[in-house]
Amino acid sequence: MHLVIISGATRPRGRSNTAKIIDAFQKGYKEGGNTVEVWYLSDRKQWAGAAAAFAEQENILIALPLYVENIPGSLLEFLSCLSPKKEAGTRLAFLIQGGFPEGSQSRCCERYLETLPGQLGCEYGGTLIKGDMFGLGMTDEKSRKKMLEPFVEMGRYFADHGIFDKEKAYSFAAPEYMPKSQVRLFRLIGHFVQRIFMGRLAKQMGCKEALDAKPYEC
Amino acid sequence: MKLLVVNTLSEQNEAARAAIRELKGMVSDCKVIHTYEMQLKPCVGCNACWLKTPGVCSIQDGYEEILKGYIEYDATVFLAGTALNFVDYRMKNVIDRILPLVTMYIHIVDGQCRHVPRYDRKYQFGLLYFGIADGDYLNQWMDRVALNMGGSSLGAFPIHQAKEVLSCIL
Repeated sequence: MHLVIISGATRPRGRSNTAKIIDAFQKGYKEGGNTVEVWYLSDRKQWAGAAAAFAEQENILIALPLYVENIPGSLLEFLSCLSPKKEAGTRLAFLIQGGFPEGSQSRCCERYLETLPGQLGCEYGGTLIKGDMFGLGMTDEKSRKKMLEPFVEMGRYFADHGIFDKEKAYSFAAPEYMPKSQVRLFRLIGHFVQRIFMGRLAKQMGCKEALDAKPYEC
Repeated sequence: MKLLVVNTLSEQNEAARAAIRELKGMVSDCKVIHTYEMQLKPCVGCNACWLKTPGVCSIQDGYEEILKGYIEYDATVFLAGTALNFVDYRMKNVIDRILPLVTMYIHIVDGQCRHVPRYDRKYQFGLLYFGIADGDYLNQWMDRVALNMGGSSLGAFPIHQAKEVLSCIL
């Protein structure tokens, strides 16, 4: 079966965590001889092609980073330009990735995505959620492969089932909330660990200010 | 009370004009920023506002005035168009660019990670929407947006109910 994947990420493909996840997902999806085409909306030149693929194809997955509790504004702009399908038979599924680890962070967005396919003349194919992806592009190759392997597996699952079953997707998104043991650990050492980790990142980016600077303080 | 109105609708939109008139009549100080002609760009996820120039967005397109407004004014009311049963992309772009108000640092609140607010402010955000949308969902979304900023939502209302958005704080 052929699958159209539309990336709603705003970062260019080379720096996009969503793109890395798409690569892993399609690897699993293609194993049984299925085919995939991917469109990246961070490149506006691809919008027309993505819109045409949406109009012509019936098996579509939109992958996106969580942006302030919903889809990124640029993805919303793209979707607003589409003509809703008049013929039944198109299934539209979603994959949300976020920086925070808890699945509950994406539930507000998921609620919206459950209704979105109906607005576009499509059936809902489920939503796959995964958090804790902030460091995906910064980690070493071995760790990245470990982080991406579950998406390869979900690509295989999606090829077999054609949808993201709610129960399966719920367990994939775990933890729903931060476990108490991790909360305790975070309170003990989280403050120091993140100061060191983020301080290093900031230094690499050429930051000269404190990360909690208040440039517009009245 | 000092109120910031961020109008993402056209300045010629009659419903927006009426809402702004009504809001101005309810507060002592009201600043209106019209963004429709500004062509504000979407957030590009560059992380510069967290890790390179903390608190300052890398996109220089006039959004800085809105960022300063969030901090200076007691409450902010957004006027938004709708699309696909939600706010439209112009409004979503405005909200996506709000991230410089928080730092990269994280704390945990009620079992969920939250970014530590950059400023010692209790933001109050309200939404007036023009067009068809799921009002219940917009209320949930505004609650979550405000929660992420360490603030509270004034609610989401159809634009002709402008008075309602300030009813709980006046």
